[in-house]
Amino acid sequence: MNDHYKKLGTLLALILPFALIGKVGYAQWVIGYVYLFLIQGYVAWFLFFRTNQPFFGYSVTMALGAYSTAILTGIYEWPLVLGILAGGVIASAVAMLLFLSTSRARGFYLSMISFLLAIMFPMLIDALRPITGGRNGIYFRGLRDMWSRGGLFALIVGSTVLAVAFLFWLMSTKTGKTFTLIAENDDLAQAVGINTFKYKLLAYGIAGLISGLGGALYVNYIGFISSIDVGVFTTTYITFIPIVGGSQLCYGPILGALIVFLLPDLLVPMERFMDIIFGGVFVAIILLIPGGIAPGLERLVKWAYKRLVRRRHDCIKPETQL
Amino acid sequence: MNEKELVLEVSELTVNYGATSALKSVDLFAHKGEIVGLAGPNGAGKTTLLETIAGFLRQKEGDIRLFGTQINEFPVLKRRMMGVVLVPQERNNFPYMTVSENLDVGGIINCKDVNKRLIEEVYQLFPVLHTRANQLAGTMSGGEQRMLAIGIGLVSNASILLIDEPSTGLAPKMVTRLFETLGSIKELTGKTIVLSEQNIGVIDIADRVFGIEAGEVRFCEKTEDLDRDIIRDLYLGK
Amino acid sequence: MNLDAGITGIIMGGVLSLPVLGIAVIYGMTGITNFAIGTIGVFCAFMTWTFFSYGTVVGILVGLATSFVIGYVIQWFLLTPLSEKGGDSTLFFIVTICIGLVFTGLTRVLFPRPNISLLLPRMGTVRILGVTTSGLKIFAFFFALSVLFLIRLSEKHTNIGKSWRATSQNLKLAKTVGIDTQHVFAWASSIGCMLSFSGAVFWAALYNVSLMSGWDLTFLGFIIAVVGGIGNIWGGMLSALLMGMVMSYSGHILGGMWQSVVLYFIVILVLIISPRGILGSERSL
Repeated sequence: MNDHYKKLGTLLALILPFALIGKVGYAQWVIGYVYLFLIQGYVAWFLFFRTNQPFFGYSVTMALGAYSTAILTGIYEWPLVLGILAGGVIASAVAMLLFLSTSRARGFYLSMISFLLAIMFPMLIDALRPITGGRNGIYFRGLRDMWSRGGLFALIVGSTVLAVAFLFWLMSTKTGKTFTLIAENDDLAQAVGINTFKYKLLAYGIAGLISGLGGALYVNYIGFISSIDVGVFTTTYITFIPIVGGSQLCYGPILGALIVFLLPDLLVPMERFMDIIFGGVFVAIILLIPGGIAPGLERLVKWAYKRLVRRRHDCIKPETQL
Repeated sequence: MNEKELVLEVSELTVNYGATSALKSVDLFAHKGEIVGLAGPNGAGKTTLLETIAGFLRQKEGDIRLFGTQINEFPVLKRRMMGVVLVPQERNNFPYMTVSENLDVGGIINCKDVNKRLIEEVYQLFPVLHTRANQLAGTMSGGEQRMLAIGIGLVSNASILLIDEPSTGLAPKMVTRLFETLGSIKELTGKTIVLSEQNIGVIDIADRVFGIEAGEVRFCEKTEDLDRDIIRDLYLGK
Repeated sequence: MNLDAGITGIIMGGVLSLPVLGIAVIYGMTGITNFAIGTIGVFCAFMTWTFFSYGTVVGILVGLATSFVIGYVIQWFLLTPLSEKGGDSTLFFIVTICIGLVFTGLTRVLFPRPNISLLLPRMGTVRILGVTTSGLKIFAFFFALSVLFLIRLSEKHTNIGKSWRATSQNLKLAKTVGIDTQHVFAWASSIGCMLSFSGAVFWAALYNVSLMSGWDLTFLGFIIAVVGGIGNIWGGMLSALLMGMVMSYSGHILGGMWQSVVLYFIVILVLIISPRGILGSERSL
């Protein structure tokens, strides 16, 4: 099936950076950084678009994972693996709790609750400065002490591939099909006797878990986290990833992450104009290429292919006439 | 024979919803002061036709002419300035405004004194609206809301009024009264009215009936020449 | 002591209610929650600051004109076409945040300083119930209140106001009776931006305004609007006063760090308990 090839291709493309393991340097570091957000982007792709849950709290779940790991292992001296797992579980629990408490709200209000949480969370971290370090942040050695740079990079790439593969697999199972049905028509799903509440809770749980684990990896890779790193704009950018890249296609988030998190890095010489370019590019993409870059690219490829084939056809034509 | 001025002329109109076509090469015309009925079963394309004439939908092919002017590409607002007003079937008032405010807004492009006179006329036609002048439109009964909708259409001082299914959801007694009122509106104001209607009673007040089925015009007859069998075929199939 | 915090809260609420009214007006009319409104207001306040040397009035007029034009253009060329294509709230959320980013960037690029404060006349000092406060703060409060009444009155009694309400209640019928809805939308957006601008000006006169203040203004305005019921002007005003009190007292009791946390916490609670805000919203989301 066409879709299978696309998923396989996506995973293969994600594995490519393994070639860079030996080459410690800026390129490797940046790719690792982009991958950390790619995980979050895929979580957004899964929760926001595949299951149609208007959740904007990705920076919250990510921060919960990161801070839990850093605090539990750094201050309470838990073993690192346990700390990372705890980060994921806590993020998952908070995501589910949020869903449970908002089950009365619908649509836009629901998304706003998580968005407000995303605004509040960095302030909470600031207010809890004695533990979290607030704006000054906390440094965390964790895996950086034990593993080499290359190893850490491999871990990031590997876990991203794993997480994405897991999400792809999930969406192809019966549970995933149910998610799709709920996303397309919630009322119909309820009418045919599906316990949509249970499935949504599950979706939030999975998304929170992956996002939290991603956050734990983040703090291990970067070695530092502060309230500025998990501000409102982080969550907005994470939501941009699937929107800009193309939410309907499985490789959309990759393109989105490249643009959302690589573009600023390329724009460093023009830092003053970054906001303008950033905002302008996004508005242009949303206005001009509805559906995101990936579908646009696919259309372009199909069009080019057609022209190419037709041109070849034109060449053959005289012969057939003879 | 006194052939009156041709107000509305629709020729070979084709409208698509995505890939499926809702109207196929429809012809329609209305003379000044006529009530034209669009009869046909549910889903025949009557609403689509009216919305296309009002400018809410764009035709794929065909012409719409108003007083001889081609208005194919005109936006809703421009058509309204030329005198086309649509009274929609549903959501046809401003629910959080009072009845009198609704009527004010209906005639918002008229001069003040014209508006006042027209509102008086509407109150005479529908005394209920007068007694409820200060009630929120959304809180009235279905029949009263339907009257208000027609009232808004009248106040707008349109030269051609497109009324979409005015009788849906009304009690049979109300339907008869509504049709009587529409007849008297025609007598009083000389407006051209295009009326889409599932209810067969429409043929009693219309001067001309177009039978529409599955997006095509099946017949077009003056009411007095109309054969009841055709109508039966339209609704029940041959 | 407590009374002091209470009055500070009320005045803060009065200033905050200007962007809230802006959001309420735009939302009530167009159904779009505009997250760019604060940054646009701040951009225009910077504009005022630039022209301040030509006189206070000139500066403020320039700011007002700029905010009007920006609001109009954005609605006319960007948001209305998008909504006619069938954009949903999430899309508008994203798009307006991008627009906000553009204006933050413009403010950064066009103006020499990242931080301004405007020297408006202090208008003497006023003593209320034993608390001394500057006349400007009182003026800011009554300005917000009178704008609210003006909007309400014009909605009720003028033809323009009626056409606004008609447009927000039934777009299709409004079009068919001959209301130029595209202009109505653009005007609503303009008025919203002008309100947000006046909020930013008061903010700049009472405290100071920086590049990122626009976002604070947006988010504060938005949460207050949410608590009051988005699009509900009275609810917005009431909740602005309440939230001003909350901020003031929580800052007083728990310290400045917790001020915003408490505020957002209360807002989230309100949303969870009563998703439509304390006074409800006319438009359903």
